[in-house]
Amino acid sequence: MASSPIIVAEGISKRFGENQVLTRVSLPVMERDVLCVVGPSGSGKTTLLRCLALLETPSEGRVVMEGATISTPEQEKPVKAAARAVRSEIGMVFQHFNLWPHMSVLENLIEAPLRVKKMPRVEAVAIAEALLAKVNLLDKRDAYPARLSGGQQQRVAIARALAMSPKVLLFDEATSALDPELRREVLLVMRQLAAEGMTMLVVTHEMGFARHVGTRTVFMDRGEIVEEAPGAAFFEAPKTERAQRFLQQFEE
Amino acid sequence: MFKYQFRWDMVLGDNFDFMMSGLQMTLIISASTLVLAMIAGLIIALLDMSRFPPARWIGLTFGEIIRNTPILVQLLWVYYVLPIVFSVRIDSLTALIIGLSLYQGAFISEVYRSGIQGVPRGHSEAAQVLGLTPLQNFIRIVLPQAIRMTLPPLASNFVQLIKFSSLGAVISVSEITRRGMELSASNFRPLETFTFIAVVYFIICWPLAMGIRWWERRLRAR
Repeated sequence: MASSPIIVAEGISKRFGENQVLTRVSLPVMERDVLCVVGPSGSGKTTLLRCLALLETPSEGRVVMEGATISTPEQEKPVKAAARAVRSEIGMVFQHFNLWPHMSVLENLIEAPLRVKKMPRVEAVAIAEALLAKVNLLDKRDAYPARLSGGQQQRVAIARALAMSPKVLLFDEATSALDPELRREVLLVMRQLAAEGMTMLVVTHEMGFARHVGTRTVFMDRGEIVEEAPGAAFFEAPKTERAQRFLQQFEE
Repeated sequence: MFKYQFRWDMVLGDNFDFMMSGLQMTLIISASTLVLAMIAGLIIALLDMSRFPPARWIGLTFGEIIRNTPILVQLLWVYYVLPIVFSVRIDSLTALIIGLSLYQGAFISEVYRSGIQGVPRGHSEAAQVLGLTPLQNFIRIVLPQAIRMTLPPLASNFVQLIKFSSLGAVISVSEITRRGMELSASNFRPLETFTFIAVVYFIICWPLAMGIRWWERRLRAR
């Protein structure tokens, strides 16, 4: 059975003043994809992700979610309405976790289900506890974020995103702010999600993850998609010179 | 100076209750003004940060005018000019409370603004992605964090208000400074009277200021 695209970037360009960050990038994310976006810093990966998360408005092009346009440069009324309807189906995990420091771990998890989905508290708590057990942090249920390690905070952030049962989860360099020994626990959770069939778009510098867990790899440079290949193929036989040069840095 | 005979009983004796009634008035003025100034400050801050340019213009202009004219002139203006402009008579206590609230509100608005802008953007972006509306985002995510950061500066404003309330003496509000002026006019003991008043202000303000400093250190340590 051919899978359908969940979210699609259609010819997205983004300019910040004079600075052209993205140039006509098109990228469909299919159901159950673990699409990894790699490339040097400043290549526009994060901006692309932020456009899909509706945190940035594209200067050109549009974002389509399951057939409905949810973001355009003009942000017309029907587009905004469509965006509101699917907003919480697009989950995002940030580089700096962004847990809310004035709320306990549990409160961080149930906030959106309570306020956005108007879920009964008992149900929200049950879901939150199940998710905390899944990321192996049930014992930190009542702790405040400041008491957790970076790796623990990021796992809570992932659980918080999952609490809204999103159809796609966007990861913005989710392990970049962590020490190497803490990265592993976060990558393990991401790997587990991939195995469960979660649709994921992963901006990352973790070549191992992209190679072994990713279903497709996209290489970006200077605001453009330079190369795209299924799974590990990109790493075994990069076609373009730019990609070859990029990958060489990781071999030392 | 050496031969001066201190007569503290002229202040602390029969007149003590008279002075304490003034102190009570001072505290009532300070507390009610703090509440009103916090509300005025919130309104000014919301205008300042509004998405609509006219609202922003009003908020900023109002704030600049108030912050850059003397409080004493403002009090005199509220007391003598407002009644002419709006042809209503307001008593001196109301004028003092209005004047002080507006003045302190203009400063408190800056406190709010820095508190709100001090909340990392990522925190509200996370809320936005999860589907919280801008209002929910502000009330649930930004405000609680901003309040924690603004509490110590707000408390400092309270200390300032206690001291500024002494300006009420000029428009004959019977707070403690005014009481002192009246007393010294009848007992001819300005040295004892005004020293007593200064000590009273100090006894109230100094522990408050120290407490705030301690509180700020504790918040920062977290």
